[in-house]
Amino acid sequence: MDAKVAKALKITTPSDREIVLTRTFDAPRRLVFKAMTTPEHVRQWYGCDLMTLVACEIDLRVGGAYRFTMRGPDGVDHTLRGTYREIAAPDRIVFTEGYVTERFTSDEAMVTSTFVESGGKTTLTVTVLHKSRENRDMHLKSGMENGAGESYDRLAAVVAAMADAA
Amino acid sequence: MPLDPLSTTFAALADPTRRAILARLERGETSVTELAEPFAMSLPAISKHLKVLEHANLISRGREAQWRPCRIAPAALKDVDGWLERYRKFWDENFDRLDDYLQEMKAQEANGKSPNRTKSKPRKRGRKV
Repeated sequence: MDAKVAKALKITTPSDREIVLTRTFDAPRRLVFKAMTTPEHVRQWYGCDLMTLVACEIDLRVGGAYRFTMRGPDGVDHTLRGTYREIAAPDRIVFTEGYVTERFTSDEAMVTSTFVESGGKTTLTVTVLHKSRENRDMHLKSGMENGAGESYDRLAAVVAAMADAA
Repeated sequence: MPLDPLSTTFAALADPTRRAILARLERGETSVTELAEPFAMSLPAISKHLKVLEHANLISRGREAQWRPCRIAPAALKDVDGWLERYRKFWDENFDRLDDYLQEMKAQEANGKSPNRTKSKPRKRGRKV
């Protein structure tokens, strides 16, 4: 489907400290902004197959805090949290973002999202600026944990099958 | 009879505690004491698991310090492209769901349901519609 291609997510790492995500949505930016900054809407789309969104708090004002907590299949909570630095609905929003789990707390990154509307469609650009390359790489890696767990589980199943066959 | 390398790896991964240890080490190196903490397990028990992982070349242990930091072995680590792939998958799926949800929001508005105040009754939960 053509529209799908046009909307495809683009991820780049333009510098050692940055991750940039770009994606076009078939909706005016007013709605995109709202869907991304209101808990009742965020709950409808944010998460992944392996993790459940168990907390979603947003205090949408400069200096206000937000917190998204996802619980993995192992019962471990992964939280993204931070503070709003700049809110210019529906153009632009800037917030800090830190990742917290068990006994690990990341340094905070600065996240800038811009919403550009054209012909009823919105192009969202999210720039995540980390303090160091190590922090950025760790961020990219963080999504891997559960994925890796999943592949290990699959491997374990294969092993079990092999053992049964033996 | 010694196991072949692949079987050794499989066997090492076939234990939930060892998979949890690997998951922890993917976030960075740490000491045995720190690794043991979330598991409510004795240090010798954790050390035994670490030996299995080390034997399977899934982790390596530093010699530079007395606390012998444990780290995930380079071979077991995905490179940046691998990390990007998972990261991409997460956001790709999320943004697809967001786009679907935006269509619902648009439809709701078109149906005259308060354009700027969709603050309505709780909708059906779950990402799949």
